[in-house]
Order: sequence, then C-alpha cells, then structure tokens
Amino acid sequence: MTPDCALELRGVRKSYKGFTLKDVSFTLPRGVIGGLIGPNGAGKTTIIKLIMNLVRREAGEIRVFGLDNRSAEIEVKSRIGFVYDVPGFWDDQSLDSQRRALGAFYPRWSDETFRRLAAEFGLPLEKKYKALSHGARTKFALAMALSHGADLLIMDEPTAGLDPIFRRELLRRLSALLQEEGKSILFSTHVTSDLERVADVITFIQAGDIVFSLTRDELLDGWAIVRGDDRVVRELDASLVKGVRQRAFGVEALVSDRDAARRMVGARAVVDRVTLDDVMVLMAGEARHAA
Amino acid sequence: MLRNALRKDLLLNARHLWGILPWFLWVAYAMSEPDAGRITAVGAAFIGSLMAATIGAREDKLRTTATLASLPVSRSVLVEARYLLAYVVGAVTYLAVVVMAAVLPWSVQRAAELVELRTLLLTLTLASAAITLMMPLVTRFGLLGVVLVLGAFQLLGVALMVAFELFGKRSAAGVFSTIERGISDLHRNLDQPVVILETVAALALATWLSFRLSVFLAERRDL
Repeated sequence: MTPDCALELRGVRKSYKGFTLKDVSFTLPRGVIGGLIGPNGAGKTTIIKLIMNLVRREAGEIRVFGLDNRSAEIEVKSRIGFVYDVPGFWDDQSLDSQRRALGAFYPRWSDETFRRLAAEFGLPLEKKYKALSHGARTKFALAMALSHGADLLIMDEPTAGLDPIFRRELLRRLSALLQEEGKSILFSTHVTSDLERVADVITFIQAGDIVFSLTRDELLDGWAIVRGDDRVVRELDASLVKGVRQRAFGVEALVSDRDAARRMVGARAVVDRVTLDDVMVLMAGEARHAA
Repeated sequence: MLRNALRKDLLLNARHLWGILPWFLWVAYAMSEPDAGRITAVGAAFIGSLMAATIGAREDKLRTTATLASLPVSRSVLVEARYLLAYVVGAVTYLAVVVMAAVLPWSVQRAAELVELRTLLLTLTLASAAITLMMPLVTRFGLLGVVLVLGAFQLLGVALMVAFELFGKRSAAGVFSTIERGISDLHRNLDQPVVILETVAALALATWLSFRLSVFLAERRDL
C-alpha cells in the first residue's frame, strides 16, 4: 500500500459475458478529487462496484485507506459515502423514514448535517421518495452520503440529471469538502467540463483497460492537439500519438508531450492546448480504429 | 447491527408486511365457524412468515438491494435479520389470531386450543418450510425467486389436472389427501417427546442449512 493513499487498486480483474476489466491498477491520493472518465461500457461503473464490493473481483487487490475492501468491509464502508448513478431507495417511504432507517448503520451519522443539507438542497423530508424528480433523488442520495463523516466519497455519474446551477453548486461543495475537511473524492462522469473544473487526478478507462491516470495539470498542460496536414502529423513520433482523426481542413492528432510535438512540427502545424473532450473523442476514436 | 437491520425492515418494508391484512379479514369472519381456529392461526403464521421472507423480492424491484449492500453491515447480518424477522412475523401473526379467537364477540373458538404445544409445533414446521424454501431463492434471484416458486406451483397444478384427466379423480385427490394425512399425522404425534425432539432438531437443522445457503448466495451475488 502506497502511503497517503485513499484508494489503491492493483491488478483488479472482473469478467462478464462479452466484457473483461483487465488488471486495473490506479491510486487516489488522500485529499484529492479523482475523476474516472471513459466511453459508455468502458467499465467505470464496474470499477466503482468493485471498490464497494457490490461485485466480486476475480483477481487483484483493492485497498481503501490501507484496508482490504473485503476483509475489512464494514470499516471500509463506514468511511465511504456512496452515490449511485440511479439511486435506489424505498419509493413508498418518506425521506425522513429512510434517514432514520439507514443513518443508524453509520457510527458517525449526523442528523444535524443531514437536516442542514436537506434544507440547502430543498428536499421535502416528509415527502415520499417516488414523488421526487430525478435531480431531487440525486440530491437526497448526496445528502445521505455526506451526512456520516465519510473520508472518501465515491460517486457514479453524480451530476447526471442535475440542472447546471446545482451541478456547479455540487462541484463547489466537493472542492470545499476537500479544502476544509481533507476528504478524498472519486467520481465517474461523462460531463468532462465538470472534471476540468474540479478534478486533481484523471483516470481514463476504455474497453476495460486503464489507458492513463494522470494529474489534471500533467494532462491539460502536458498533452496537446496537433492540427495540420496529414504529412506533417505523420512525422510525429508514433509513441507520442494517442489518437488521430481526419477533419475537413486536415488531421488532428492527440499527443502526450506538447513540447516534444512543438519541436517536431515547428511552424508547419498548430499545437493547441487539449481539453478532456478532445482526449475522450480522439482516444475512443483511436480504439475503434484499432479494433 | 442486527438490531439496525431489523429496524430498517420494520421502518421501510412495513407496507409489504401489511399485505397479510386481507387474511385477517377472513380470520375475523371465520371465528364464527366451528373448528376454524387452528387452520386460521396456522395459515396466518405461514403467510406472515412468507411475506417477511419475500421482502427481498420487493427490495430487488426497488433496486434497494445494492443500496443495502453499500451500507457498513455484512450481507450475512442482513440475511440473518431477514430470517429472524420472518420467524417474528410468523409468531406475531399467530398470536394475533389467538387474541382474535379470545376477544371477538362472535368467536366460537377456544383460544387455549391454539396454544397447545402440538399446534404450535405444527405451525412452526409449516412456517419453517416457507422460510427455508423462500429465503435462498429470494436471496439469489430476488423477485424472480418468487416467480420461480409460483411457476413451480403452477406446473404442479397443471400436472395434477393432467393426472386427473388421464387417471381419474382419485389420482389427483390422492395427492391432496396424502398431504393432509401427513400434516394430520404430524399434528397427532406431536405430543410424543421423541417426535417433538426430532421435529425441533429437524427444523433447526433445516433452518441452519437454509441460512448458510442464503448467506453463501448473498455474499456471491453481483449487484
């Protein structure tokens, strides 16, 4: 176990019919926000379920704050706040009943925190869960996850279905949790702009493989998009090129070393800053091309 | 943790358990019928236990199984709580019929008859049968587990109808009379110490095996 790691996965494997998560390894240092991105079906949810021991791993090791997530399952889960992509709660019960029933399982549960968050999120505690909109359901799941003093928050697509105002508010709150309380956060998302705003570490997964796990600065400042004609792009060192796509004006190449790419192409091509959207699109496109 | 798991079921799944209420309407009516006490009490415990044992099917439908599995509680404790709840609900529903037999003005039942050891043990046997059969199926398959049991009974019904058509009324009636005779024989012999011991030991063993199987299935289920 690496010191100061909130989460560490080593050689984790899980197979389903037609899909295999292949020896996944990455770490999430304490006190950082980690983003898990990748196309649909890449294995993001499977990784999160493996961390939560909702699905059984076939090989490898998962440690949360140095504890094995299976042998120390109860302690591990008491330190994790978890939000599903589609939260599952009891439709015919009020939010307050669910708070009473589920909060009791957590040794550090705080009714005061829950009530404060519910008020801030505008959650009607006396209402039944089925009466809530999708966004309000996610807010309820978030209030539950944030009310038991979790040291690590794990969220699967937490911003899906939320309006832009609350999405920003949520991201601001996550950053504040990090700064004020030293929590660690791992969340998967399709909304890459969310990650650009708050993530410190970005892990990209594709077809069950971890393609990279880099800090945001390493990725956004170190990687680049090279735009030019086909001939110039072909001169780039192949080991730097992570993805290529044909455009109307020429070719775009995703490269993992901006300075090296600049040296190679000089003034014959444009070397631009990369966005997470570019990374997703070009890498996913490259994988399809290779397949 | 076991207490929290039980409390959770009582708070969040009470509505499922209220599904037994229609049975009590019939019980209230049947109290005026001679000799209806035993069958209504045994039936109440059987249905009550069955309702509690099938809570997992409701949770599966609501997608709350995974929510529960993400709480800091082991899956074996959640299963243990469900077994305990099924027996408690069986006992409470049985007791409710005893109280109804004693207090309803139109009741012609003798409540004392319902608390005889023989009747209690017979009730325990039938409730245990419901629990030990349903729990592993619901734990592994959720709602599908209930559908599987209903489907099996449906097939049994079809098989009896076919037997009725092919071999005459007696063949089908024979099945029911055999079951009835088996239950009556058990009830009659449940005042003998050896039979009591054997029955209690068999029920304890069957429940333990069913519980271990349910825990095994719950811990290996991908959610």
